[in-house]
Amino acid sequence: MSDTIHKTSYMLPIGPVHPALHEPIRLDLDVDGEEIIDVDVAAGQVHRGIEWIGMNRNNAVQTIYLAERICGICSACHPFAFVLAVEQAAGIEVPVRADYIRTIVAEVERMHSHLLWAGVAGHEIGFESLFFYVWRIREKVMDLTEVLTGNRNSKAMYQIGGVRRDITPEQIPIIRASLDIYKEAFDEMRHLFLDDPTIKLRCRNSGVLPTEDALKLCAAGPTARASGVPTDVRQDHPYAAYADLGVKAITPDVITGCVVGDTYDRIIVRLLEVKQSIELIEKALDTMPEGPILTEPKIAKLLALLKKAEGEGVARVEAPRGENIHYVRLKAGEDTLQAWKVRAPTYANLQVVPTMLKGQQIADVPIAFASIDPCMSCSNRAVVTNKTDSTVSFLDGEKLHALSVEKTRRLNAELAGK
Amino acid sequence: MGMNQFKRALWVYHLNTGSCNGCDIEIVAVLTPRYDVERFGIKLVGSPRHADVLLVTGPVTRQMEPRLRRIYAQTPDPKVVMVVGNCGTEGDVFHESYNLVGPIDQIVPVDVYVHGCPPRPEAIIDGVVKAWLKLEGVAPERTT
Amino acid sequence: MNVLDAKAVIKSYEDALDGALLNSRVYEREVGARKHVYTSLWLDVERSGFRAAVSHVAQLQDSPHFSVIAQVDLGDSVDLLYHFSLFTGEPNKAIALVLRVTLSKTDLTIPTITDLIPGAIFSERETQEMMGVTVVGIPDGRRLFIPEDFPEGVYPWRRDETGPEEMLNVLPGKQGIQHE
Repeated sequence: MSDTIHKTSYMLPIGPVHPALHEPIRLDLDVDGEEIIDVDVAAGQVHRGIEWIGMNRNNAVQTIYLAERICGICSACHPFAFVLAVEQAAGIEVPVRADYIRTIVAEVERMHSHLLWAGVAGHEIGFESLFFYVWRIREKVMDLTEVLTGNRNSKAMYQIGGVRRDITPEQIPIIRASLDIYKEAFDEMRHLFLDDPTIKLRCRNSGVLPTEDALKLCAAGPTARASGVPTDVRQDHPYAAYADLGVKAITPDVITGCVVGDTYDRIIVRLLEVKQSIELIEKALDTMPEGPILTEPKIAKLLALLKKAEGEGVARVEAPRGENIHYVRLKAGEDTLQAWKVRAPTYANLQVVPTMLKGQQIADVPIAFASIDPCMSCSNRAVVTNKTDSTVSFLDGEKLHALSVEKTRRLNAELAGK
Repeated sequence: MGMNQFKRALWVYHLNTGSCNGCDIEIVAVLTPRYDVERFGIKLVGSPRHADVLLVTGPVTRQMEPRLRRIYAQTPDPKVVMVVGNCGTEGDVFHESYNLVGPIDQIVPVDVYVHGCPPRPEAIIDGVVKAWLKLEGVAPERTT
Repeated sequence: MNVLDAKAVIKSYEDALDGALLNSRVYEREVGARKHVYTSLWLDVERSGFRAAVSHVAQLQDSPHFSVIAQVDLGDSVDLLYHFSLFTGEPNKAIALVLRVTLSKTDLTIPTITDLIPGAIFSERETQEMMGVTVVGIPDGRRLFIPEDFPEGVYPWRRDETGPEEMLNVLPGKQGIQHE
């Protein structure tokens, strides 16, 4: 028998979050056998030049609709941050009732996004029935979104100076009834996710991000909070109605008493945030004042105002995935924005992926990568180079997902055998 | 609509060429219990080699164009290409950007367009049925 | 961490930068029914004092939270705006901090800050590829969002001759964007 150990290297396309969610991004993994040594993130497959369009072709009001389509899942937080930045730059006031409506829509979006993620996480581990169960509840959140905004996905609620639609007295009992449904569903989901021994086995101590690294790499949102960094834009730097409602950043030691920073902690943080959102919406409904919803209802006047405005503004919003920041600069006499910079939270969270995946097994990659909730189109292909060899072969996303599911079955069998 | 008229199950491969994921989420929602297309025999597959229908979303960024061509070539005939969403149809809000190479029908031939930004799941199901009818019209009898 | 208000932050910068601080502006706005004051602080610094300004953020807060670099093409010069959050983790106390550095187009270089803040790497790569600014000392200078076969020397966010007008995807029969 030869002394040298031959290891084959493989190209591992790091799978889509779901076979249908082929979101293009590439992860280049260096592996040694089953263990990952290093990761390189190659993004850009979804680069559509949105900021350029906003700066060269659209006026500020059209850009709101462009901002909605930066990401279809979190389509309320981008226009939210954008209109806040433009209002800062142009010095436009917002009525208080509009602040509350904005907050309510943003929290409904957070619920739908976290439920989406929870279902996908269940699928990545191999629990198809959990995926279907959670997405059935999510459909009820979509119904609420439709009642409030008229559409399931692209909400078109935000306008510079306020919101476009009011919450009428007829809608309020519908909202409250929906919230009761979600509260019941939340208790059930909490039991399903956090009390299940297999999920604990798969996710505990997997995909760990130490607190130190989360701080140095400037991670955002639940990814950072699960690693023990107690920041939340709604808590630290409140905007709209959050200063009145009072938000506390959720870290996993609320339930477990300690912070590990692994995938399981991220599940905890996101589930608890769903509960938090339900409570915030209730409180906002109870305390929402009467009044106008839009400072300048006529679009032509608004555009004329913006054309004369000069200034810059920066706004941060807590999107479901973390801190979302928009910077806008307006120049007098120009229809288009002079400058527009968007930094979605996944932009920052992608930087922690190498640290998180080092030392993990390949079968853990789908759930670990999905646990940062990548919204800019998660990875579809990962190129894996083995350090010893240089041959390359392809395993597609299906195979990787199968590896992950197979590991769950193995662990289940071990559990049952005990 | 007599579903028992359909002679085959429909296997669908989904490809995202740079979309915002709104359409992709609605496609996944079509599988969930409320809309539940799996009861009609419509199934998502993980490889284009098994697919009858290519479901494509997105305005085709430069990086994704070779992949789209490759996937189209790998899908065996008879096949139907279905575009979901406005940005695949014409570019929608993104048209003329510097990193895009044109809506999907500039790259591969398209059979069915589903409009909307994003289209509702009901519209997607309607589009799949149209694709299915088109395929039935051209495809020979399959024994599976 | 000692939480300061905006004026105290400006004062600490004046002391630390000793002349490299060119200008400062405080923006305040009341939000919500309880009129909480939302604050952002805009500081203009010389390039020579830029590294000192960034390390000063670490003096004000351990593990400073960096968000992004914004870039503006102003014709003969380029503005780079570094966005930070100060005093995160303290309810209602955080301040948005913006450090602006103006670079002349004849000398588009800026030192890296990734040794102080490793989380700035993506933003610096983007600044290089989108604006054509050379980040001196960057550990990884590859393109991030733009494909490798995109022509060199074309910078999408510039408004001068290096802009991406040639690369626009104009559909057959259409005219494309008209610039005044």
